[in-house]
Amino acid sequence: MPTCTIDGRQVEFKPGENLVEAAKRAGIEVPVFCYHPGLSVVAQCRMCAVEVQGIKKIQTACSTKAAEGMVVLTQSEPVKKARESVMEFLLINHPLDCPICDQSGECDLQDNSFGHGSAHMRYTEERRTYVDLDMGPVIKKNMNRCIHCTRCIRFGDEIAGIREMVAMQRGNNTEITTLDGRPLETDYAGNYADICPTGSLTLKDFRFKKRAWMVKKTATVCEGCSRGCNIELHWDHATVFRTLPRENASINRYWICDEGRFNYRYIHDEQRVISPVVAKSGAAAPGWPAAVVAAREALRGKRVELLLGSDLTLEEAQLIQKFAGDFFPGARLSHFGTPGIKSTSDDGDADKILKRKSKTSNLHGMEKLGVPGFGALSKETTGILVFRAGRAELPEWGGVAAVGVGVFMEPQAARFAALLPSATFAEKDGTIVNFAGVSQRLVRAVPPPGDCKQISEILMMWANSGRAGGAS
Amino acid sequence: MSKSAASGETLYIQHFGNEEARSLDYYLKQMQGYTALKKAFGMKAEQIIDEVKASNLRGRGGAGFPTGTKWGFIPKASQKPKYLVCNADESEPGTFKDRDLMRFTPHLLIEGMVIGGYTIGAHTGYIYIRGEYTREAKLLRAAIDEAYANGYLGKNILGSGFSFDLTVHRGAGAYICGEETGLLNSLEGKRGEPRVKPPFPAQAGAFGGPTIVNNVETLTAIPFIVNQGGKWFASLGRAEKSGGTRLFCVSGQVKKPGLYELPSGGVTLRQLIYDYCGGILGDKKLRAVIPGGSSAPVLTPDEIDVVLDIEPLMKIGSMLGSAGVMVVSEDYCLVRLIWRITKFYEHESCGQCTPCREGCKWMKDVLWRIESGKGRDQDLALLLDIAENINGKTLCALGDAAAGPVLSFVRKFKADFEAHIRGKRCPHAP
Repeated sequence: MPTCTIDGRQVEFKPGENLVEAAKRAGIEVPVFCYHPGLSVVAQCRMCAVEVQGIKKIQTACSTKAAEGMVVLTQSEPVKKARESVMEFLLINHPLDCPICDQSGECDLQDNSFGHGSAHMRYTEERRTYVDLDMGPVIKKNMNRCIHCTRCIRFGDEIAGIREMVAMQRGNNTEITTLDGRPLETDYAGNYADICPTGSLTLKDFRFKKRAWMVKKTATVCEGCSRGCNIELHWDHATVFRTLPRENASINRYWICDEGRFNYRYIHDEQRVISPVVAKSGAAAPGWPAAVVAAREALRGKRVELLLGSDLTLEEAQLIQKFAGDFFPGARLSHFGTPGIKSTSDDGDADKILKRKSKTSNLHGMEKLGVPGFGALSKETTGILVFRAGRAELPEWGGVAAVGVGVFMEPQAARFAALLPSATFAEKDGTIVNFAGVSQRLVRAVPPPGDCKQISEILMMWANSGRAGGAS
Repeated sequence: MSKSAASGETLYIQHFGNEEARSLDYYLKQMQGYTALKKAFGMKAEQIIDEVKASNLRGRGGAGFPTGTKWGFIPKASQKPKYLVCNADESEPGTFKDRDLMRFTPHLLIEGMVIGGYTIGAHTGYIYIRGEYTREAKLLRAAIDEAYANGYLGKNILGSGFSFDLTVHRGAGAYICGEETGLLNSLEGKRGEPRVKPPFPAQAGAFGGPTIVNNVETLTAIPFIVNQGGKWFASLGRAEKSGGTRLFCVSGQVKKPGLYELPSGGVTLRQLIYDYCGGILGDKKLRAVIPGGSSAPVLTPDEIDVVLDIEPLMKIGSMLGSAGVMVVSEDYCLVRLIWRITKFYEHESCGQCTPCREGCKWMKDVLWRIESGKGRDQDLALLLDIAENINGKTLCALGDAAAGPVLSFVRKFKADFEAHIRGKRCPHAP
């Protein structure tokens, strides 16, 4: 690889790489606002000022490609002065409302001001203010905080494929807004908040719920479709507060869709069944031993089929396969998840960005285990055992006796003789296989709520409840 | 308006003011119209570029870049369509030469553009004209129609096999669209914002194709160069590196403002003001001169013995720019003047890059505070610092255009600013 010198260090770089990325390789951080590795380079904010030997003017690292033998200074006096002046320019109109701003703590403007700005303020004129229009259900806008980096405009244009964020007016009055002040249309709107370097665009969903530094972070994978975008769950105690995309160049780059971003909400849905349910028992809370017995009884003497949601992990599905062999020998296993998608050949891109047609995470894993897609119950079937995580859509099964294991909502409970509640993707570890055959790990962030148990534990109780001494 | 010819040979000025000059008939009979085009079709592109290089023709829009060298940047191997764009945005305050060139000698521009297109291999040309020039746009369109009707534009021009289409595109009123990449964005229907360079227009300009952007006065020189040779054109100039004549736009408090066509590097600023323009209005004292459009740093009366050409002006820290010479007498308040100039740049800043968007407004506010008698002692140091923080640190040259004048006014006329601050009022105010 060719090399250049940055702050006296020899740095190898890939041809075509800019100085921000090249410096990163040497562990040198060049501060940026408008530059984003997933978007085009506009060199507008001027924050990434560097000195390049042989060039008199200060250069912007984002728009300067590294070249063999190039000598770059990122900490010289002229560079420091240039950055300090950019910080001053950006802050003269920026409100000092960090204490009530949701971005505080994860704000590029705050960080760079601390790192490169001056504590002294020379501006005495009136600050520029704007009136904001509503941007729809996802994003809250505060134009007064905007630093005109245009990342949002470029995201809409280049990634979401919709030019809905635009610059209106010009010069000092430039306003970054939606076209004609309309609400946002893209179903990738959450990314606007992620890439906004200030508190100008924040998530309505997360607003005022938690300070950014109070959350714990767990790196895991989205279960929203068969792509398996890499995400980070932000949580505290037993509550998940938000989902952020995690960079993965080969799967989702820097983005996630809104469906995946807000998928976590059902974890804390009031209607989620979080303790075992037995129909017709009359008891509000039968407790686990009675419920497991009731579940066994409901299927006793029946010809049983097992239906597996294609949102289960590989480990869960394998365990269920083994369980079926022991307790329902000869029973048919099939998977369900998205109506109309029986196999991976039915799956495909649902849009030009990230979304896949299969709305469950492990369709391809199910196929790997040899479980076929569900079509219809065989005529002889008189009972079914349904396993499901959070997203697989329940198929029709008529009037046969049904027992459910997994994650269910109250309206669904009526379809089951017994329900044994289990854990969502955020509450368990496991492996899922995405559409391209990449195995990825789900990592547990929070404990399951209420009386929910892992499927492994539920199957163990089922097995044990038949032993001597078990209730009958 | 006085339009006196200079001592040397002139190319344009004798036709200015003559309503008939703009017709094709006049152009063919009186100005050897389209003979250069015929001659060019018999030449190779390299030969034409060599002639233009030999002519020492330098961009007349402001930057003064050698035109032949610029044309040579077009990649020959490129498979993309190439474009020739005429920058007729003429929006630098104090500049009004292109207007008369388009009004009285439109065919000269058309012929220059067809030759330019032939040379760089472009089959499409645009004249991006300032939105306010409605009359000139109309006249240009009429001239283009005439040229089409007579086979000077369109398919297979003069049987040469070369085709060239020319379109007039009116701007929508933004100074920044005179910056070549801002112009190209506007031409493509986008926001008029300058692009990051590189890539330069010669590699990827209009619609992604290799593009040359030339000023009106630059392109109108081309027929003369082709007809009479680069050496002849170079000999019209009196400076080593600048060929041809130059149209000086003199405005402000002189007795005879207007356009003057003079040999490049042939006169000093003093000669222009006192010999050609008849001195200061009312025989008042000269206070300041802005020599190259409002973005050029100001000169004091002590500095006017400078030769009016690119290098000599650069040497004393100013620039020839678009040759818009603005003369200020002792009657006018210089603080008010620089406030007004800064207000222009603040208004015209596109707003995409930080120092220009925020800094121009800040400078304007501080200048207005001083002018209105509310200035503070520390304001001058603040002004200089803001201007330094803009100067050379922006995406395009508009930042420099706004900062340069402020730096020069504050440094050269410090006493005027101090008088405002100490006296808590403008000394020129009634």
